[in-house]
Amino acid sequence: MKVLVTVKEVAAVEDDFEIDGLSIDDRYLEYDLNEWDDYAVEAAVQIAEAADEDVEVVAATIGPERSEETIRMALAKGADRAVRVWDDAIADQTLLDVNAKASVFEQVVAEEEPDLVLTGVQAADDALGATGVALANRVGYQWAAVVNDLDYAAGDDVATVRRELEGGVEEITEVDLPAVLSIQTGINEPRYASLRGIRQAQQKEIAPHDLSDLGLDAETVDGALELTDMYEPESESDATIFEGGAEETATELANVLRDKGVVGE
Amino acid sequence: MLDYVGLEGDLDEEERLIRDTARRFVEEEVRDDIGQHWIDGTFPTDLVSEMGDLGFYAPNLEGYGSPNVSETAYGLLMQELEACDSGLRSMASVQGALVMYPIHAFGSEEQKERWLPDLGAGDAVGCFGLTEPEHGSNPSAMETRAEKDGDEYVLNGSKTWITNSPIADVAVVWAKDRSTDGDPVRGFLVETDRDGVTTNEIDEKLSLRASVTGEVSLQDARVPEDAVLPGVEGMKGPLSCLTQARYGIAWGAVGAARDCFETARQYATDREQFGGPIGRFQLQQQKLAEMATQITTAQLLAYRLAELKERGDLRPQHVSMAKRNNVRMAREQAPVAREMLGGNGIVADHSPMRHMANLETVYTYEGTHDIHTLILGEDLTGIAAFE
Repeated sequence: MKVLVTVKEVAAVEDDFEIDGLSIDDRYLEYDLNEWDDYAVEAAVQIAEAADEDVEVVAATIGPERSEETIRMALAKGADRAVRVWDDAIADQTLLDVNAKASVFEQVVAEEEPDLVLTGVQAADDALGATGVALANRVGYQWAAVVNDLDYAAGDDVATVRRELEGGVEEITEVDLPAVLSIQTGINEPRYASLRGIRQAQQKEIAPHDLSDLGLDAETVDGALELTDMYEPESESDATIFEGGAEETATELANVLRDKGVVGE
Repeated sequence: MLDYVGLEGDLDEEERLIRDTARRFVEEEVRDDIGQHWIDGTFPTDLVSEMGDLGFYAPNLEGYGSPNVSETAYGLLMQELEACDSGLRSMASVQGALVMYPIHAFGSEEQKERWLPDLGAGDAVGCFGLTEPEHGSNPSAMETRAEKDGDEYVLNGSKTWITNSPIADVAVVWAKDRSTDGDPVRGFLVETDRDGVTTNEIDEKLSLRASVTGEVSLQDARVPEDAVLPGVEGMKGPLSCLTQARYGIAWGAVGAARDCFETARQYATDREQFGGPIGRFQLQQQKLAEMATQITTAQLLAYRLAELKERGDLRPQHVSMAKRNNVRMAREQAPVAREMLGGNGIVADHSPMRHMANLETVYTYEGTHDIHTLILGEDLTGIAAFE
């Protein structure tokens, strides 16, 4: 069987940074594998390791050449090969929206024909959180979002998943394959890449594709969303510090909560 | 993270990934607990196999499960481990450079297959017995001896200051072979559970506390004749191991100093006195400027050493210079970082004083600072001061 994991290189911003137009200067950015995707890779590799049959784990990403280093980390952790999609038309977008990403991955799925697609719940930078489900809709796969427990053995037709819902509620449900699962952090304990894995990863393939390789044209990634401005929001919160003993401060806090309507009279 | 002249920018992708993995592992798995281990005088033994799983032991060797990474990558690994604690780097140095290296370089095929995969995975722990109670800087005067008796060797003697001996499964013991003309020094692989072998722990160390140190006592300890390392005779056996380990120390010292620097820099920008961060004072800035300069020049020496080692042009004297310089540098800069932290600098929450105490050991072990001075003196004049 084949498991496709969508992965993304995300930028983390340092505490002090400067905004230059619509972006943050590269000096203040550190690139890393998206945290949620790290869990998705681990989930895929665990399926492969526990399997009696051959399971191929393919990582797919939309990202510039620089992102290969990050994708290599997924290979070092056990993915077998990777597909990297990039194009001038993608680079020209101020913001690649969910629709555009789903269109790209739709073609990757059409080429790879995976039995299972694992995505992170969201990306740490743009946090749109919709790519996995949008992709499932496009390719006509079953889907489950925000999966924090997965019971699945290679070759099974059904995956049993536990989903994290709002308000601390969880749902256990069965999903028929082929399926797209968006993976929540905490589902497993992602491994560190071993030095051996890092060495082996140097020999693994990261196949570059542009849009035309996937049979797509530049308009495909012209999204409905456009980044128009970037600024640091003014902090609107005021902190009040109560001083004194517990009884005194608790009374003051209770008054505030009542005044603000957080608790009833 | 201080890398003032951008040396890490020239690393290849594999080296960067190894640096990042080691850095992250230390940050997430070790750093929070290391102060308490240091206070308790314990090594975090669960890390033995975790570091093995990650391939941290002798990854620069080839075959028998070792990934054969570059000498730079190996150096970076030592740097990141020692940025956490010299005891952590010592564990990896001993296991890799002092135990796996001699088995790899001088062992028989059977010895390699028996020990290298287990040691590499951290399923077995090794130690290196050279120093004796009466013979530290002059190991060639060692008293530990081996006598052939039938198809066995009988070992007698006492080794001390042996990192990991109390938790070791096997000791590489260097002893004089009395059964051979000239009593040459030979290496023996001695399982520590053999009769006549005891490994008492040395307590009450005031340095390198998150590392287990002990003795190896041999009293009529019998090992089979195939326990001898067949590929080497004489002092070049143990000395070549020390060259490997000292190479790692030259890198590790940069890590320890960098951690001191980063802690001090952070503190200087956070800590406010007289209405602003103390880092605005020239006194503090001078200290940071000097530390950064010293660390950077030591780092340059480590990188050059890696190049020489990679292409086979590294001489032991080069390593002596780098071990001597870089450890002295770290030993001198750690107290500067400690003093910048004021009173907060004396508690285990902050690393500089722990590094400072550890570096007393690093300054002394693997060839004392003074002995490396004499090695360089001999190399520069052709006259040995210690003979």
